[in-house]
Amino acid sequence: MSNAGQKRSLWLALAAIPLLFAALFFLQARIDARTRTEAQAKEELLLRSPAAIEKMSLGYNSLLADIYWTRAVQYYGGKLADENVHFPLLWPLLDISTTLDPKLLAAYHFGAMFLSEPRVGANRPDLAVKLIKRGIAANPGNWRLDADLGFLYYWYLRDYGDAAAAYLAGSNTPQGPAWMKFMAARLDQKGGSLETSRMIWTQVYESNSDPKIRKLALNTLKGLKAEQDERELDTAASEYRQRFGHYPASVAEMRGAALLHGVPVDPDGYPYVLGPDGQFELNPHSSVAIPQEPKTPPRPAAK
Amino acid sequence: MSAMPGVVAINTFREAVRDRVLYNLVFFALLMIGAAIIVGQISIGIERLVIVNLGLTAISIFGLVMAIFIGVGLVYKEIEKRTLYSLLSKPIRRWEFLVGKYAGLILTLVINTAFMTAGLAVALFYVGRPFVRSDASILIAIYFILLALALVTAIALFFSCFSSPMLSTLFTLAIYVTGLFAADIRDFGALTHSSFIKTATSVLYYLVPNFHDFNSIAVAAHGESIPFALVWQNTLYALMYIALLLVASSAIFSRRNLK
Repeated sequence: MSNAGQKRSLWLALAAIPLLFAALFFLQARIDARTRTEAQAKEELLLRSPAAIEKMSLGYNSLLADIYWTRAVQYYGGKLADENVHFPLLWPLLDISTTLDPKLLAAYHFGAMFLSEPRVGANRPDLAVKLIKRGIAANPGNWRLDADLGFLYYWYLRDYGDAAAAYLAGSNTPQGPAWMKFMAARLDQKGGSLETSRMIWTQVYESNSDPKIRKLALNTLKGLKAEQDERELDTAASEYRQRFGHYPASVAEMRGAALLHGVPVDPDGYPYVLGPDGQFELNPHSSVAIPQEPKTPPRPAAK
Repeated sequence: MSAMPGVVAINTFREAVRDRVLYNLVFFALLMIGAAIIVGQISIGIERLVIVNLGLTAISIFGLVMAIFIGVGLVYKEIEKRTLYSLLSKPIRRWEFLVGKYAGLILTLVINTAFMTAGLAVALFYVGRPFVRSDASILIAIYFILLALALVTAIALFFSCFSSPMLSTLFTLAIYVTGLFAADIRDFGALTHSSFIKTATSVLYYLVPNFHDFNSIAVAAHGESIPFALVWQNTLYALMYIALLLVASSAIFSRRNLK
Protein backbone atom coordinates (compact mmCIF):
# COMPACT_ATOMS: atom_id res chain seq x y z
CA MET A 1 0.00 0.00 0.00
CA SER A 2 1.25 3.46 -0.86
CA ASN A 3 1.97 6.09 1.77
CA ALA A 4 -1.16 8.02 0.82
CA GLY A 5 -3.20 4.83 1.06
CA GLN A 6 -1.77 4.05 4.50
CA LYS A 7 -2.60 7.57 5.72
CA ARG A 8 -6.15 7.27 4.40
CA SER A 9 -6.59 3.95 6.22
CA LEU A 10 -5.28 5.51 9.44
CA TRP A 11 -7.70 8.43 9.24
CA LEU A 12 -10.55 6.06 8.44
CA ALA A 13 -9.69 3.96 11.48
CA LEU A 14 -9.46 7.05 13.70
CA ALA A 15 -12.91 8.12 12.54
CA ALA A 16 -14.44 4.66 12.70
CA ILE A 17 -13.34 3.85 16.27
CA PRO A 18 -15.26 6.68 18.03
CA LEU A 19 -18.25 6.13 15.74
CA LEU A 20 -18.36 2.45 16.58
CA PHE A 21 -18.02 3.26 20.29
CA ALA A 22 -20.92 5.73 20.02
CA ALA A 23 -23.03 3.11 18.23
CA LEU A 24 -22.16 0.55 20.92
CA PHE A 25 -23.16 3.02 23.63
CA PHE A 26 -26.63 3.51 22.13
CA LEU A 27 -27.09 -0.19 21.52
CA GLN A 28 -26.09 -1.00 25.12
CA ALA A 29 -28.48 1.66 26.41
CA ARG A 30 -31.33 0.02 24.44
CA ILE A 31 -30.44 -3.43 25.74
CA ASP A 32 -30.27 -2.05 29.30
CA ALA A 33 -33.68 -0.38 29.00
CA ARG A 34 -35.22 -3.76 28.19
CA THR A 35 -33.35 -5.87 30.71
CA ARG A 36 -33.10 -3.49 33.68
CA THR A 37 -36.66 -4.07 34.84
CA GLU A 38 -36.05 -7.81 34.87
CA ALA A 39 -32.79 -7.35 36.76
CA GLN A 40 -34.43 -5.07 39.32
CA ALA A 41 -37.24 -7.50 39.90
CA LYS A 42 -34.96 -10.31 41.04
CA GLU A 43 -32.81 -9.69 44.04
CA GLU A 44 -30.01 -12.10 44.28
CA LEU A 45 -27.31 -13.05 46.66
CA LEU A 46 -25.72 -15.97 44.92
CA LEU A 47 -23.65 -17.11 47.86
CA ARG A 48 -25.32 -16.91 51.24
CA SER A 49 -22.96 -18.99 53.32
CA PRO A 50 -20.53 -16.67 55.14
CA ALA A 51 -18.25 -19.63 55.92
CA ALA A 52 -18.07 -20.67 52.25
CA ILE A 53 -17.35 -17.11 51.14
CA GLU A 54 -14.64 -16.83 53.78
CA LYS A 55 -12.94 -19.94 52.42
CA MET A 56 -13.24 -18.76 48.84
CA SER A 57 -11.70 -15.39 49.67
CA LEU A 58 -8.23 -17.03 49.72
CA GLY A 59 -7.08 -14.94 52.64
CA TYR A 60 -8.36 -11.64 51.26
CA ASN A 61 -11.43 -11.79 53.51
CA SER A 62 -10.79 -8.35 54.97
CA LEU A 63 -11.17 -6.60 51.62
CA LEU A 64 -14.12 -8.81 50.72
CA ALA A 65 -15.80 -7.78 53.99
CA ASP A 66 -15.41 -4.13 52.97
CA ILE A 67 -16.98 -4.93 49.60
CA TYR A 68 -19.94 -6.75 51.20
CA TRP A 69 -20.41 -3.95 53.71
CA THR A 70 -20.40 -1.37 50.90
CA ARG A 71 -22.92 -3.57 49.09
CA ALA A 72 -25.10 -3.61 52.24
CA VAL A 73 -24.95 0.21 52.42
CA GLN A 74 -25.85 0.51 48.73
CA TYR A 75 -28.64 -2.04 49.12
CA TYR A 76 -30.09 -0.20 52.11
CA GLY A 77 -29.78 3.23 50.49
CA GLY A 78 -31.20 2.00 47.18
CA LYS A 79 -34.23 0.44 48.85
CA LEU A 80 -35.17 3.49 50.88
CA ALA A 81 -36.83 5.14 47.89
CA ASP A 82 -39.15 2.15 47.33
CA GLU A 83 -42.71 2.05 48.60
CA ASN A 84 -43.57 -0.77 51.04
CA VAL A 85 -39.88 -1.25 51.50
CA HIS A 86 -38.52 -4.64 52.60
CA PHE A 87 -34.92 -5.58 53.17
CA PRO A 88 -34.69 -9.35 52.71
CA LEU A 89 -30.98 -9.28 51.84
CA LEU A 90 -29.88 -6.85 54.55
CA TRP A 91 -29.27 -9.47 57.23
CA PRO A 92 -27.42 -11.92 54.92
CA LEU A 93 -25.19 -9.10 53.68
CA LEU A 94 -24.39 -7.98 57.24
CA ASP A 95 -23.91 -11.59 58.33
CA ILE A 96 -21.37 -12.15 55.55
CA SER A 97 -19.58 -8.82 56.17
CA THR A 98 -19.12 -9.47 59.86
CA THR A 99 -18.14 -13.12 59.39
CA LEU A 100 -15.48 -12.15 56.87
CA ASP A 101 -14.17 -9.43 59.17
CA PRO A 102 -15.40 -9.79 62.77
CA LYS A 103 -13.71 -6.49 63.63
CA LEU A 104 -15.60 -4.42 61.05
CA LEU A 105 -17.15 -2.07 63.63
CA ALA A 106 -18.96 0.08 61.07
CA ALA A 107 -21.00 -2.94 59.95
CA TYR A 108 -22.19 -3.65 63.51
CA HIS A 109 -22.85 -0.04 64.43
CA PHE A 110 -24.64 1.18 61.31
CA GLY A 111 -25.96 -2.25 60.34
CA ALA A 112 -27.85 -2.47 63.65
CA MET A 113 -29.47 0.88 62.88
CA PHE A 114 -30.49 -0.25 59.39
CA LEU A 115 -31.93 -3.48 60.77
CA SER A 116 -33.85 -2.04 63.70
CA GLU A 117 -35.50 1.11 62.34
CA PRO A 118 -39.23 0.54 61.83
CA ARG A 119 -39.81 3.40 59.38
CA VAL A 120 -36.54 3.62 57.47
CA GLY A 121 -35.16 0.16 58.08
CA ALA A 122 -35.92 -3.54 58.22
CA ASN A 123 -37.83 -3.31 61.54
CA ARG A 124 -35.89 -6.26 62.90
CA PRO A 125 -34.49 -5.16 66.27
CA ASP A 126 -34.10 -8.84 67.18
CA LEU A 127 -31.57 -9.30 64.38
CA ALA A 128 -29.91 -6.02 65.30
CA VAL A 129 -29.42 -7.33 68.85
CA LYS A 130 -28.00 -10.57 67.43
CA LEU A 131 -25.59 -8.59 65.25
CA ILE A 132 -24.40 -6.33 68.08
CA LYS A 133 -23.98 -9.27 70.47
CA ARG A 134 -21.80 -10.94 67.85
CA GLY A 135 -19.80 -7.71 67.61
CA ILE A 136 -19.33 -7.55 71.38
CA ALA A 137 -18.12 -11.16 71.43
CA ALA A 138 -15.59 -10.45 68.66
CA ASN A 139 -14.49 -7.07 70.06
CA PRO A 140 -14.46 -7.35 73.83
CA GLY A 141 -13.88 -4.05 75.59
CA ASN A 142 -15.47 -1.90 72.89
CA TRP A 143 -17.92 0.20 74.90
CA ARG A 144 -19.54 1.71 71.78
CA LEU A 145 -21.04 -1.68 70.92
CA ASP A 146 -22.42 -1.98 74.47
CA ALA A 147 -23.92 1.49 74.05
CA ASP A 148 -25.49 0.37 70.75
CA LEU A 149 -26.93 -2.71 72.46
CA GLY A 150 -28.32 -0.62 75.32
CA PHE A 151 -29.90 1.73 72.81
CA LEU A 152 -31.53 -1.16 70.89
CA TYR A 153 -32.99 -2.65 74.06
CA TYR A 154 -34.17 0.72 75.27
CA TRP A 155 -35.67 2.25 72.16
CA TYR A 156 -36.81 -0.59 69.94
CA LEU A 157 -37.51 -3.39 72.40
CA ARG A 158 -38.52 -1.30 75.47
CA ASP A 159 -36.55 -3.73 77.57
CA TYR A 160 -35.20 -1.35 80.20
CA GLY A 161 -33.60 -4.05 82.36
CA ASP A 162 -31.44 -5.41 79.53
CA ALA A 163 -30.73 -1.86 78.36
CA ALA A 164 -29.44 -0.93 81.82
CA ALA A 165 -27.32 -4.12 81.90
CA ALA A 166 -25.79 -3.27 78.50
CA TYR A 167 -24.90 0.28 79.55
CA LEU A 168 -23.45 -1.05 82.80
CA ALA A 169 -21.35 -3.61 80.90
CA GLY A 170 -20.05 -0.82 78.66
CA SER A 171 -19.17 1.37 81.63
CA ASN A 172 -17.10 -1.48 83.07
CA THR A 173 -14.87 -1.75 79.98
CA PRO A 174 -11.40 -0.15 80.28
CA GLN A 175 -12.36 2.89 78.16
CA GLY A 176 -16.05 2.92 79.11
CA PRO A 177 -17.21 6.51 79.72
CA ALA A 178 -18.77 7.54 83.02
CA TRP A 179 -22.07 8.57 81.41
CA MET A 180 -22.84 4.91 80.68
CA LYS A 181 -22.92 4.09 84.39
CA PHE A 182 -25.19 7.08 84.92
CA MET A 183 -27.42 5.93 82.07
CA ALA A 184 -27.64 2.41 83.53
CA ALA A 185 -28.70 3.80 86.90
CA ARG A 186 -31.24 6.12 85.30
CA LEU A 187 -32.78 3.30 83.26
CA ASP A 188 -33.09 1.22 86.42
CA GLN A 189 -34.92 4.06 88.14
CA LYS A 190 -37.01 5.74 85.47
CA GLY A 191 -37.24 3.28 82.58
CA GLY A 192 -38.86 4.81 79.51
CA SER A 193 -39.30 8.43 80.57
CA LEU A 194 -39.17 11.15 77.92
CA GLU A 195 -36.14 12.69 79.57
CA THR A 196 -34.23 9.40 79.40
CA SER A 197 -35.17 9.02 75.74
CA ARG A 198 -33.85 12.48 74.98
CA MET A 199 -30.60 11.74 76.80
CA ILE A 200 -30.08 8.53 74.84
CA TRP A 201 -30.90 10.10 71.46
CA THR A 202 -28.61 13.02 72.28
CA GLN A 203 -25.82 10.49 72.82
CA VAL A 204 -26.68 8.87 69.47
CA TYR A 205 -26.56 12.27 67.78
CA GLU A 206 -23.29 13.33 69.39
CA SER A 207 -21.45 10.03 68.95
CA ASN A 208 -22.21 9.62 65.24
CA SER A 209 -20.61 11.33 62.29
CA ASP A 210 -22.76 9.78 59.59
CA PRO A 211 -25.25 12.38 58.27
CA LYS A 212 -28.11 9.86 57.87
CA ILE A 213 -27.91 8.67 61.48
CA ARG A 214 -27.48 12.22 62.77
CA LYS A 215 -30.55 13.33 60.82
CA LEU A 216 -32.56 10.43 62.23
CA ALA A 217 -31.40 11.30 65.76
CA LEU A 218 -32.16 14.99 65.26
CA ASN A 219 -35.66 14.28 63.93
CA THR A 220 -36.34 11.95 66.84
CA LEU A 221 -35.09 14.56 69.31
CA LYS A 222 -37.41 17.11 67.71
CA GLY A 223 -40.29 14.63 68.00
CA LEU A 224 -39.49 13.97 71.66
CA LYS A 225 -39.35 17.71 72.34
CA ALA A 226 -42.76 18.12 70.65
CA GLU A 227 -44.16 15.26 72.74
CA GLN A 228 -42.89 16.95 75.89
CA ASP A 229 -44.39 20.29 74.76
CA GLU A 230 -47.77 18.70 74.02
CA ARG A 231 -47.87 17.08 77.44
CA GLU A 232 -47.18 20.42 79.13
CA LEU A 233 -49.72 22.25 76.94
CA ASP A 234 -52.36 19.58 77.61
CA THR A 235 -51.74 19.98 81.34
CA ALA A 236 -52.17 23.76 81.00
CA ALA A 237 -55.44 23.21 79.04
CA SER A 238 -56.71 20.89 81.80
CA GLU A 239 -55.90 23.54 84.38
CA TYR A 240 -57.88 26.08 82.31
CA ARG A 241 -60.86 23.72 82.34
CA GLN A 242 -60.61 23.31 86.11
CA ARG A 243 -60.71 27.09 86.51
CA PHE A 244 -63.40 27.98 83.93
CA GLY A 245 -65.37 24.74 83.50
CA HIS A 246 -64.62 24.34 79.80
CA TYR A 247 -61.62 23.87 77.53
CA PRO A 248 -60.04 26.97 76.04
CA ALA A 249 -61.26 27.87 72.51
CA SER A 250 -57.95 29.41 71.54
CA VAL A 251 -54.36 29.86 72.63
CA ALA A 252 -55.21 33.56 73.21
CA GLU A 253 -57.68 32.55 75.95
CA MET A 254 -54.96 30.56 77.70
CA ARG A 255 -52.59 33.52 77.43
CA GLY A 256 -55.33 35.71 78.90
CA ALA A 257 -55.55 33.31 81.85
CA ALA A 258 -51.76 33.60 82.29
CA LEU A 259 -51.36 29.88 81.56
CA LEU A 260 -49.17 30.52 78.51
CA HIS A 261 -46.61 33.11 77.53
CA GLY A 262 -46.59 33.79 73.80
CA VAL A 263 -47.54 31.35 71.05
CA PRO A 264 -46.12 27.88 71.68
CA VAL A 265 -44.25 26.56 68.64
CA ASP A 266 -42.76 23.19 67.79
CA PRO A 267 -39.00 22.66 67.04
CA ASP A 268 -39.65 23.56 63.38
CA GLY A 269 -41.23 26.88 64.41
CA TYR A 270 -44.88 25.98 63.60
CA PRO A 271 -47.48 26.87 66.27
CA TYR A 272 -49.21 23.94 67.96
CA VAL A 273 -52.91 23.51 67.08
CA LEU A 274 -55.47 23.44 69.90
CA GLY A 275 -58.27 20.90 69.36
CA PRO A 276 -61.87 21.23 70.71
CA ASP A 277 -61.13 18.60 73.36
CA GLY A 278 -58.33 20.72 74.81
CA GLN A 279 -55.66 18.52 73.29
CA PHE A 280 -52.75 20.16 71.50
CA GLU A 281 -51.50 18.69 68.24
CA LEU A 282 -48.71 19.32 65.79
CA ASN A 283 -49.38 21.77 62.99
CA PRO A 284 -50.20 19.82 59.80
CA HIS A 285 -47.53 21.84 57.94
CA SER A 286 -44.82 20.86 60.38
CA SER A 287 -42.34 18.14 59.45
CA VAL A 288 -41.89 17.17 63.09
CA ALA A 289 -43.22 13.68 63.91
CA ILE A 290 -43.71 12.29 67.38
CA PRO A 291 -41.86 8.96 67.63
CA GLN A 292 -44.16 5.96 67.57
CA GLU A 293 -43.83 2.97 69.82
CA PRO A 294 -42.68 -0.08 67.83
CA LYS A 295 -45.95 -1.79 66.91
CA THR A 296 -44.77 -4.94 65.19
CA PRO A 297 -43.41 -7.50 67.62
CA PRO A 298 -39.99 -8.75 66.57
CA ARG A 299 -40.13 -11.86 64.44
CA PRO A 300 -38.09 -14.94 65.24
CA ALA A 301 -34.41 -14.64 64.42
CA ALA A 302 -33.48 -15.51 60.84
CA LYS A 303 -31.28 -18.53 60.30
CA MET B 1 31.30 -17.26 46.60
CA SER B 2 31.86 -15.29 43.41
CA ALA B 3 30.16 -12.06 42.39
CA MET B 4 28.37 -13.82 39.53
CA PRO B 5 25.00 -14.29 41.27
CA GLY B 6 24.95 -10.52 41.89
CA VAL B 7 25.64 -9.81 38.22
CA VAL B 8 22.88 -12.21 37.14
CA ALA B 9 20.52 -10.63 39.70
CA ILE B 10 21.11 -7.11 38.42
CA ASN B 11 20.61 -8.26 34.83
CA THR B 12 17.41 -10.09 35.76
CA PHE B 13 16.12 -6.89 37.34
CA ARG B 14 17.09 -4.85 34.25
CA GLU B 15 15.34 -7.38 32.04
CA ALA B 16 12.16 -7.06 34.11
CA VAL B 17 12.30 -3.27 33.80
CA ARG B 18 12.88 -3.60 30.03
CA ASP B 19 9.86 -5.93 29.85
CA ARG B 20 7.79 -3.10 31.38
CA VAL B 21 6.90 -5.22 34.41
CA LEU B 22 6.85 -2.14 36.63
CA TYR B 23 3.99 -0.70 34.56
CA ASN B 24 1.67 -2.42 37.05
CA LEU B 25 2.53 0.48 39.37
CA VAL B 26 0.47 2.80 37.18
CA PHE B 27 -2.54 0.54 37.60
CA PHE B 28 -1.91 0.38 41.34
CA ALA B 29 -1.75 4.18 41.54
CA LEU B 30 -5.02 4.53 39.64
CA LEU B 31 -6.64 1.92 41.88
CA MET B 32 -5.59 3.75 45.05
CA ILE B 33 -6.64 7.15 43.74
CA GLY B 34 -10.00 5.76 42.61
CA ALA B 35 -10.61 4.02 45.93
CA ALA B 36 -9.62 7.09 47.96
CA ILE B 37 -12.10 9.23 46.05
CA ILE B 38 -15.00 6.81 45.63
CA VAL B 39 -15.17 4.79 48.86
CA GLY B 40 -16.06 7.74 51.05
CA GLN B 41 -19.07 8.36 48.85
CA ILE B 42 -20.44 4.84 48.50
CA SER B 43 -19.80 3.36 51.93
CA ILE B 44 -19.96 4.32 55.59
CA GLY B 45 -17.26 4.28 58.22
CA ILE B 46 -14.57 2.33 56.33
CA GLU B 47 -12.65 4.98 54.35
CA ARG B 48 -9.28 4.28 55.97
CA LEU B 49 -9.99 0.58 56.42
CA VAL B 50 -10.72 0.02 52.76
CA ILE B 51 -7.61 1.94 51.66
CA VAL B 52 -5.42 -0.29 53.83
CA ASN B 53 -7.25 -3.47 52.83
CA LEU B 54 -7.26 -2.62 49.15
CA GLY B 55 -3.65 -1.42 49.20
CA LEU B 56 -2.32 -4.52 50.96
CA THR B 57 -4.46 -6.87 48.86
CA ALA B 58 -3.27 -5.20 45.65
CA ILE B 59 0.37 -5.40 46.79
CA SER B 60 -0.15 -9.09 47.51
CA ILE B 61 -2.02 -9.96 44.29
CA PHE B 62 0.21 -7.91 41.97
CA GLY B 63 3.26 -9.42 43.66
CA LEU B 64 1.85 -12.94 43.38
CA VAL B 65 1.12 -12.53 39.68
CA MET B 66 4.66 -11.24 39.11
CA ALA B 67 6.28 -13.90 41.29
CA ILE B 68 4.46 -16.76 39.59
CA PHE B 69 4.43 -15.64 35.97
CA ILE B 70 7.97 -14.27 35.91
CA GLY B 71 9.26 -16.95 38.28
CA VAL B 72 8.19 -19.86 36.08
CA GLY B 73 9.96 -18.32 33.10
CA LEU B 74 13.23 -17.48 34.84
CA VAL B 75 15.03 -20.61 33.67
CA TYR B 76 12.76 -21.63 30.80
CA LYS B 77 13.20 -18.33 28.94
CA GLU B 78 16.98 -18.61 29.09
CA ILE B 79 16.84 -22.13 27.65
CA GLU B 80 14.24 -21.17 25.02
CA LYS B 81 16.25 -18.16 23.84
CA ARG B 82 19.46 -20.20 24.08
CA THR B 83 21.09 -17.44 26.13
CA LEU B 84 21.73 -19.95 28.91
CA TYR B 85 24.43 -21.69 26.84
CA SER B 86 26.50 -18.57 26.40
CA LEU B 87 25.98 -17.75 30.07
CA LEU B 88 27.11 -21.17 31.29
CA SER B 89 30.17 -21.02 29.08
CA LYS B 90 31.37 -18.25 31.38
CA PRO B 91 32.88 -18.98 34.82
CA ILE B 92 29.54 -19.36 36.55
CA ARG B 93 28.17 -22.44 38.21
CA ARG B 94 24.63 -23.52 37.62
CA TRP B 95 23.53 -22.96 41.20
CA GLU B 96 25.03 -19.45 41.07
CA PHE B 97 22.98 -18.75 37.98
CA LEU B 98 19.83 -19.96 39.75
CA VAL B 99 20.49 -17.95 42.91
CA GLY B 100 21.23 -14.88 40.80
CA LYS B 101 17.99 -15.28 38.84
CA TYR B 102 16.07 -15.73 42.07
CA ALA B 103 17.70 -12.68 43.71
CA GLY B 104 16.98 -10.59 40.60
CA LEU B 105 13.27 -11.33 40.75
CA ILE B 106 13.21 -10.70 44.50
CA LEU B 107 14.90 -7.33 43.88
CA THR B 108 12.19 -6.51 41.30
CA LEU B 109 9.47 -7.49 43.76
CA VAL B 110 11.03 -5.48 46.59
CA ILE B 111 11.31 -2.32 44.45
CA ASN B 112 7.80 -2.80 43.08
CA THR B 113 6.44 -3.28 46.62
CA ALA B 114 8.36 -0.24 47.90
CA PHE B 115 6.70 1.97 45.28
CA MET B 116 3.28 0.52 46.09
CA THR B 117 3.89 1.11 49.81
CA ALA B 118 4.65 4.75 49.05
CA GLY B 119 1.43 4.93 47.01
CA LEU B 120 -0.53 3.43 49.89
CA ALA B 121 0.96 5.99 52.28
CA VAL B 122 -0.07 8.84 49.95
CA ALA B 123 -3.62 7.43 49.66
CA LEU B 124 -3.88 7.17 53.46
CA PHE B 125 -2.67 10.74 53.76
CA TYR B 126 -5.27 11.80 51.18
CA VAL B 127 -8.17 10.34 53.17
CA GLY B 128 -7.14 12.69 55.93
CA ARG B 129 -5.62 10.47 58.49
CA PRO B 130 -2.38 11.33 60.29
CA PHE B 131 0.13 8.51 60.63
CA VAL B 132 0.15 6.88 64.04
CA ARG B 133 2.32 4.37 65.84
CA SER B 134 -0.01 1.46 65.08
CA ASP B 135 0.67 1.98 61.35
CA ALA B 136 3.84 -0.03 61.95
CA SER B 137 1.51 -3.04 61.60
CA ILE B 138 0.93 -2.05 57.96
CA LEU B 139 4.68 -2.14 57.32
CA ILE B 140 4.96 -5.52 59.04
CA ALA B 141 2.04 -6.84 56.97
CA ILE B 142 3.86 -5.68 53.82
CA TYR B 143 7.02 -7.40 55.06
CA PHE B 144 5.01 -10.61 55.52
CA ILE B 145 3.63 -10.24 51.99
CA LEU B 146 7.20 -9.94 50.72
CA LEU B 147 8.21 -13.08 52.63
CA ALA B 148 5.28 -14.95 51.07
CA LEU B 149 6.24 -13.63 47.62
CA ALA B 150 9.84 -14.75 48.14
CA LEU B 151 8.53 -18.21 49.01
CA VAL B 152 6.22 -18.31 45.98
CA THR B 153 9.11 -17.22 43.74
CA ALA B 154 11.25 -20.05 45.10
CA ILE B 155 8.43 -22.55 44.40
CA ALA B 156 7.98 -21.20 40.86
CA LEU B 157 11.74 -21.36 40.27
CA PHE B 158 11.83 -24.93 41.59
CA PHE B 159 9.18 -26.11 39.13
CA SER B 160 10.68 -24.11 36.27
CA CYS B 161 13.86 -26.18 36.63
CA PHE B 162 12.18 -29.32 35.27
CA SER B 163 8.79 -28.35 33.86
CA SER B 164 7.16 -26.12 31.23
CA PRO B 165 5.93 -22.63 32.22
CA MET B 166 2.29 -23.70 31.89
CA LEU B 167 2.66 -26.69 34.20
CA SER B 168 4.94 -24.77 36.56
CA THR B 169 2.26 -22.07 36.89
CA LEU B 170 -0.38 -24.67 37.71
CA PHE B 171 1.87 -26.46 40.22
CA THR B 172 2.87 -23.21 41.93
CA LEU B 173 -0.72 -22.01 42.15
CA ALA B 174 -1.81 -25.39 43.51
CA ILE B 175 0.89 -25.31 46.19
CA TYR B 176 -0.03 -21.72 47.08
CA VAL B 177 -3.75 -22.48 47.48
CA THR B 178 -2.99 -25.71 49.38
CA GLY B 179 -0.69 -23.69 51.64
CA LEU B 180 -3.49 -21.23 52.36
CA PHE B 181 -5.77 -24.08 53.45
CA ALA B 182 -3.08 -26.11 55.21
CA ALA B 183 -4.70 -25.73 58.63
CA ASP B 184 -8.11 -26.73 57.23
CA ILE B 185 -6.63 -29.83 55.67
CA ARG B 186 -5.10 -30.84 59.00
CA ASP B 187 -8.40 -30.13 60.83
CA PHE B 188 -10.28 -32.13 58.23
CA GLY B 189 -7.99 -35.09 58.90
CA ALA B 190 -8.51 -34.73 62.65
CA LEU B 191 -12.27 -35.10 62.14
CA THR B 192 -11.99 -38.48 60.45
CA HIS B 193 -11.67 -41.84 62.20
CA SER B 194 -9.05 -43.08 59.77
CA SER B 195 -5.55 -42.98 61.20
CA PHE B 196 -4.16 -43.12 57.66
CA ILE B 197 -6.00 -39.93 56.64
CA LYS B 198 -5.02 -38.28 59.92
CA THR B 199 -1.36 -39.05 59.29
CA ALA B 200 -1.55 -38.08 55.62
CA THR B 201 -3.17 -34.70 56.32
CA SER B 202 -0.69 -34.03 59.14
CA VAL B 203 2.23 -34.81 56.82
CA LEU B 204 0.71 -32.57 54.14
CA TYR B 205 0.26 -29.81 56.71
CA TYR B 206 3.96 -29.79 57.54
CA LEU B 207 5.05 -30.40 53.96
CA VAL B 208 3.35 -27.48 52.21
CA PRO B 209 4.36 -23.91 53.09
CA ASN B 210 1.74 -22.47 55.41
CA PHE B 211 0.88 -19.22 53.65
CA HIS B 212 -1.95 -18.43 56.02
CA ASP B 213 0.55 -17.36 58.68
CA PHE B 214 1.89 -14.64 56.39
CA ASN B 215 -1.52 -12.97 56.08
CA SER B 216 -1.78 -10.04 58.48
CA ILE B 217 -3.84 -7.75 56.25
CA ALA B 218 -6.92 -7.67 58.52
CA VAL B 219 -4.81 -7.15 61.65
CA ALA B 220 -2.95 -4.25 60.05
CA ALA B 221 -6.15 -2.70 58.67
CA HIS B 222 -7.62 -2.55 62.17
CA GLY B 223 -4.43 -1.03 63.58
CA GLU B 224 -3.77 -3.95 65.90
CA SER B 225 -0.25 -4.86 66.87
CA ILE B 226 1.53 -7.89 65.41
CA PRO B 227 3.58 -9.80 68.00
CA PHE B 228 7.32 -9.61 67.45
CA ALA B 229 7.61 -13.38 67.92
CA LEU B 230 5.52 -13.86 64.76
CA VAL B 231 7.89 -11.56 62.84
CA TRP B 232 11.02 -13.58 63.57
CA GLN B 233 9.21 -16.92 63.36
CA ASN B 234 7.78 -16.08 59.93
CA THR B 235 11.16 -14.73 58.78
CA LEU B 236 12.97 -17.88 59.89
CA TYR B 237 10.27 -20.13 58.41
CA ALA B 238 10.43 -18.36 55.04
CA LEU B 239 14.25 -18.35 54.95
CA MET B 240 14.46 -22.05 55.79
CA TYR B 241 11.84 -23.02 53.23
CA ILE B 242 13.45 -20.82 50.55
CA ALA B 243 16.87 -22.36 51.30
CA LEU B 244 15.35 -25.83 51.02
CA LEU B 245 13.74 -25.00 47.66
CA LEU B 246 16.87 -23.34 46.26
CA VAL B 247 19.00 -26.32 47.27
CA ALA B 248 16.49 -28.68 45.63
CA SER B 249 16.28 -26.48 42.52
CA SER B 250 20.09 -26.33 42.25
CA ALA B 251 20.34 -30.10 42.62
CA ILE B 252 17.81 -30.66 39.83
CA PHE B 253 19.21 -27.94 37.56
CA SER B 254 22.81 -29.14 38.02
CA ARG B 255 21.84 -32.58 36.76
CA ARG B 256 19.63 -31.35 33.95
CA ASN B 257 20.75 -32.27 30.47
CA LEU B 258 20.68 -29.03 28.50
CA LYS B 259 21.65 -30.51 25.15
